[in-house]
Amino acid sequence: MLLAKNITKRFGQTLALDCVDFEAHRGEIHALVGENGAGKTTLMNIIAGRLRPDDGEASLDDAALPSGSALAALKAGIAAVNQSPMLFERMTWEENLALGGFETDRFDLAAVSARARNLAEHLGFKLPPPGSTIEERSMAERVRLEVLRALSFGPRVLILDEPTGVLAPSELTSFLDLLRRLRGEGRIIVLITHKLREALAVADRITVLREGSVVARTTPAETSESELARTMIGELPPLSLATPVFAGAAAVLSIEDVSLERGGHRWLDGVSLSLRSGEIAGIAGVDGNGQTELVEILAGARRADSGEIRLLQGADNAALAVIPENRDLVGLILEMTLWENVILARPLRERTTRHGWLDRSRAVELCGELLNRFRIRAPGPEATASALSGGNRQRLEVARAVAAAPKVIVAHNICRGLDLAGTADVHRTLADFAAAGGAVLLISSDLDELLETCGRLFVISRGRVRETRDGERDAEKLGMLMAGDWS
Amino acid sequence: MLEAFLNSTISMATPILLAAIGELIVEESGIINIGIEGAMLSGAFFALSAAYFSGSTALGLAAGIAAGLAVNAILALLIVNLAVNQVVAGTALDIFAVGITGVFYRRLFGITGKAFIVTTIPKLSFGPLTHIPIVGPVLFRHDPLVYFAFALVPTVGFVLWRTRYGLGLRAAGERPEAADALGLDVYRLRWQALLAAGILTGLAGAYLTLVYAGTFVENISAGRGYVALAVVILGRWRPWGLAAASVLFGAAMALQFGLQALGTAIPYQLFLALPYALTLVVLAAMGGQAASPSALGEPYRRA
Amino acid sequence: MLNSFARAATALLLAAAIIAGVLLALGASPIGVFAALAEGAFGSWYALTDTIVRATPLIFTGLAISVSFSGALWNIGADGQLVAGAIAAGAIGPYLGGWPRPIAILILLIAGAAGGAIWGGICGWLRARRDTNEVISTIMMNFVATQLLSWGVHGPLIEASGAYPASTPIADSARMYAFFPPTRLNLGIGIAVALAVGCYLLLFKTSVGFEVRAMGRNRRAATFFGIPIARLTIGILALSGALAGVGGAVQVSAITHRLYEKLSPGWGFEGIAVALVARLNPLGIVASALLFGALDNGSQAMQRSQGVSAVLVQVIQALVIMILLAFDTRVFAGLRSRIAPATPTMRPAAGAPSDA
Repeated sequence: MLLAKNITKRFGQTLALDCVDFEAHRGEIHALVGENGAGKTTLMNIIAGRLRPDDGEASLDDAALPSGSALAALKAGIAAVNQSPMLFERMTWEENLALGGFETDRFDLAAVSARARNLAEHLGFKLPPPGSTIEERSMAERVRLEVLRALSFGPRVLILDEPTGVLAPSELTSFLDLLRRLRGEGRIIVLITHKLREALAVADRITVLREGSVVARTTPAETSESELARTMIGELPPLSLATPVFAGAAAVLSIEDVSLERGGHRWLDGVSLSLRSGEIAGIAGVDGNGQTELVEILAGARRADSGEIRLLQGADNAALAVIPENRDLVGLILEMTLWENVILARPLRERTTRHGWLDRSRAVELCGELLNRFRIRAPGPEATASALSGGNRQRLEVARAVAAAPKVIVAHNICRGLDLAGTADVHRTLADFAAAGGAVLLISSDLDELLETCGRLFVISRGRVRETRDGERDAEKLGMLMAGDWS
Repeated sequence: MLEAFLNSTISMATPILLAAIGELIVEESGIINIGIEGAMLSGAFFALSAAYFSGSTALGLAAGIAAGLAVNAILALLIVNLAVNQVVAGTALDIFAVGITGVFYRRLFGITGKAFIVTTIPKLSFGPLTHIPIVGPVLFRHDPLVYFAFALVPTVGFVLWRTRYGLGLRAAGERPEAADALGLDVYRLRWQALLAAGILTGLAGAYLTLVYAGTFVENISAGRGYVALAVVILGRWRPWGLAAASVLFGAAMALQFGLQALGTAIPYQLFLALPYALTLVVLAAMGGQAASPSALGEPYRRA
Repeated sequence: MLNSFARAATALLLAAAIIAGVLLALGASPIGVFAALAEGAFGSWYALTDTIVRATPLIFTGLAISVSFSGALWNIGADGQLVAGAIAAGAIGPYLGGWPRPIAILILLIAGAAGGAIWGGICGWLRARRDTNEVISTIMMNFVATQLLSWGVHGPLIEASGAYPASTPIADSARMYAFFPPTRLNLGIGIAVALAVGCYLLLFKTSVGFEVRAMGRNRRAATFFGIPIARLTIGILALSGALAGVGGAVQVSAITHRLYEKLSPGWGFEGIAVALVARLNPLGIVASALLFGALDNGSQAMQRSQGVSAVLVQVIQALVIMILLAFDTRVFAGLRSRIAPATPTMRPAAGAPSDA
């Protein structure tokens, strides 16, 4: 039995965990749900030995767990799989696994490979071709490899932090089956997720965290999705936006036959779609099928090999605002001030520049306006971007995009990592933008988000894009399309 | 004539190769070390000083190695523990070495330049093997350090790619956060890499004074440390590539003297500039650094 | 402002302490050495003006470093770029006799800027188009510049008698305006300060400067937002080279009046220390350069009276850099020293659809 008692953890002024008790039994899948920032990851990092708690202790089968050392925790039987796979990209998958628990006396990659194969067969999934590097593998494969590596340590406890975010719906079922199989072996599986439907589908027990405290302990039988949601945020979930407006207006963005090939791989294959003003359209797809490349091309950061992107209705380059997926590394420069981040967007920079001279006070003023209008919680325009919370950073990015008064906004995985309130906020802003005549293109792997917000829906798979037909707007059919089954 | 040139090529390549192997190890662990030049110069000076004052070549070599270790230890403190900007740190150590060796040199030997000469390490004798035409003098008439350097090439390759230790080291250079999570001590691995490189670079410096020149002049390393950096890139981070690239530069340096001796109307400065210009040209031609470890040059602070 | 001053002061004190240790090891007297340094730097009117004179080239190279480092371009070749500028100036200088003085000087400076710009621009182009690590390329160009200078003064540019390896003196009209003879004080310092102000305005008050700084802090984000990385790379290194090149031209115009070997005693590297102490701020570089100029000046006196090689200042420079690096992490926050490829890296491939 895994037991954590009285765990408390502070980060500076913030109280991340407040006297949290947690327990999980052998042969159980225990879901730990909560909003972003509720403390789930922190709790698990503490149990997995990566963080030291300020107070409290954890134990496994009555033996105290060492704190502050990931290696010690591994040896004690706790293995954790991160949100984003921590694999070594340029090394082969065998080398990656060799750094796991497939210990051999002599260094022998063949032996590692053989043992990995055994375990994988036992669990029912395929391994990549021999000698291939992680760079070449899909996200789903990476997740599986990381799980495999974690399992190689023979852990009694396996902690999975949001593992399903990158999986296509079809891959999801087999993954959940895998978890059940592992449970059958007597292990303790802790599943950290904000996807309530999955938690209800597979968990034996559910613990709900909110703002650092446990607010509920329940089982799937005793609760429902909406009930869980309410417990998670402490009130009724905010109303999601109104049904998508679809004005029969003229096309404003036209993507024609765009292709991109690099390193012998076709990232984009004749992508064509057009966007009309007033509409919110979506492109659904599993990460890694060309979305990032398409976004980069739309942003002007990468050039396509062929095809054209045209902004119609006399719009100029400033008419297209793109919000990248990677908020902290690409969307913002964390070491710069907020106003400097705001003028990263070319149209805004042009608005605050005259003959090459930067009008600092105007830029600061503009930033202040945005902070107010979009209710972004920040010390002020001169604060560094790193001082903002994740949700507020996202709000800033959306604000910046809208402030440039574009005709089209393209957003990639815009609500990833945001809580329900933040998500609703962003969607509302985009809906307002569309209602005022703008066009929005949401590129996302989150089917719920897309089904709720989008009018027309496209699917992207292996660089090809197709519009969905009328009967295809359900999760299952979409899942198949995303997996590439376009029959 | 050709034999002398080829022989010279190998011996000129040796210090570069030694330093480059050290840099390979360091870069695989994720650090870019611009301070090779500083370690080499220090190694050169202190090796010669020790040999001169003690009369023992062995002590000289030891001193050279110690100097290289000392310089790299300072670098390790800055780069690993304090996670500072690696380029600037390395450059600082280069300036430091020029200053320290200059000060000590002039203090010990006055500006008048009293003779500061030692007998160089003798070449090994392989008996009849040296008489094989062409190959003989080129391959079999060298001092022990040359053979050591070239023997190191497959050894380093083996350690880095065929042992668990090497795997761990490369993991630290590929993604230190992940390596840390797996229980690898990234700090310790990087320290070890830098110290190993310190030994090799100090040795390379010692080679310059104890084998090649037999004396010390200020800035005797003449940019070889930077050339070693280029060699790692050109060799595509693979040991045999490094060896090939080192020989290439060894040839350029040997060419300097060969062509000068020919006494053409071509100004000697052209030859002196040759290795550096060549580095530039070859780097430009080869382009791309996609084969480098992913985390190369990024400071890593343990969370 | 006060904070930066305190930081610089602490760094120097620490460096002084370490130097004292080194000096004791050498059997020299730390007190004697420091006294000689101070005396040599400020002890007389002439010494004071000479400190300013010695600071001048450091302002130019410091600016060069600050501009390029702000864009995360590691220009270690300011020395070579200064020499390249000097060569251009020294080559054209003798022929400027017919021009009115202000014009002649201007031409000389422009020549210097051009020489340095080419020297730096080549490395910029190599980085932008061929992904060549600029640390290595700029360092290599240092060596090439040295040889070019050597060839010049021994060969095509050699002065009339052919007896010394020096170039023909520049025309009188190309000589920089001098003040208070017999001191060496000249207008070069004025030009340096003017350029410092210019660099400050450029980096902090213009849109281009913003783009440079954004590129330096986060290349990926800058690329995403359409900042022209390749063009800026070439421009920054060319500008950086030009700044150093003007410094070389000023040296020729104001002090040496001709070319000879070993023109730069390492101003390019010293510029790194100067720029770091000033936290890469162009305005602060003026003060920082004066500090290091004082050290350089004093070191000559120190060498004479204490028998410690003037090269000791390089140890001081290095120590200052290292100490500041250790304590002042915010200067480099985000300035990746990663030698990154020119294009953003591609994301993972889509593999075959999963199986049961």
